[in-house]
Amino acid sequence: MKLQRGKLLIDPPASASSDIAFILIIFFLVCAAVQPETGIAQILPKTEEKSEKQDQSKNIEVSITPNSIVLNGSPLKLNEFPPKLTSALSKKTRDEDRVVTVKSAPNTPYPLWIKVSQVIEQAGGILTLELESDRVINVE
Amino acid sequence: MKLPRKKLTASIPSFAMGDIGFLLLIFFVILARAQDDSHVRWQPAKLKEVEMVASPLASVTIDTGFKNYLDGKEISTDALTAALSQILGDTPSGKRYVFLKVHKEAKAIHFEPIIAAISEAGGDLVHILEPEQPASSQ
Repeated sequence: MKLQRGKLLIDPPASASSDIAFILIIFFLVCAAVQPETGIAQILPKTEEKSEKQDQSKNIEVSITPNSIVLNGSPLKLNEFPPKLTSALSKKTRDEDRVVTVKSAPNTPYPLWIKVSQVIEQAGGILTLELESDRVINVE
Repeated sequence: MKLPRKKLTASIPSFAMGDIGFLLLIFFVILARAQDDSHVRWQPAKLKEVEMVASPLASVTIDTGFKNYLDGKEISTDALTAALSQILGDTPSGKRYVFLKVHKEAKAIHFEPIIAAISEAGGDLVHILEPEQPASSQ
């Protein structure tokens, strides 16, 4: 009669698995932390309640709506806007004259707005926002 | 004759150290996640020329539901200027970076008051955007 040998069960060593998990977490944390962010810096003048009307009239005015860009009253397409703005700014020599006042329609999408603001900065303009102040009237 | 007793050595069991470390790490990760804004859902707009930006002192986000968050905590537009001024403190100009993360579907009515608040607090505004990949010619 032949005696059967008892089968030996071979388990992977489980004692090191927590250490492996620990090292893996450290690895993924470091990877997540060093992921760089990209964007553009924007210099804006400090918010003021009022500005002098005389200065405003000299400034270049840009109005943005979802479908159009209006430069000093003339509607333009996005590709026409950079050369027209550059030529308008080329006549301005002083910093205070290079202020470009941007007025946006409430439904202007952010991607369009950021493209226009980048064009203004690349053309050498100083971006200023014109916001409509909200007024709350309480009726008793 | 006196028989010497065997000295018993007390050693700290090092077998469970990995598990303890793992649990501590999970604890700190959860704690850190409560302070950052990675849980805020938003999609960046794309722009052609973007550059790497320095680390900020504060981060303002407009999420997919057009709610405002300051460092991951929801905040109203009215309270933003005061909260930012407190964070920025006396940090010199040029180092007062404030990241602005605007969801790409946000409209001017959502993001312009935020820009005005950052400007009023004296923050150096940085728009966080995704680089636009050039269209591949086929």
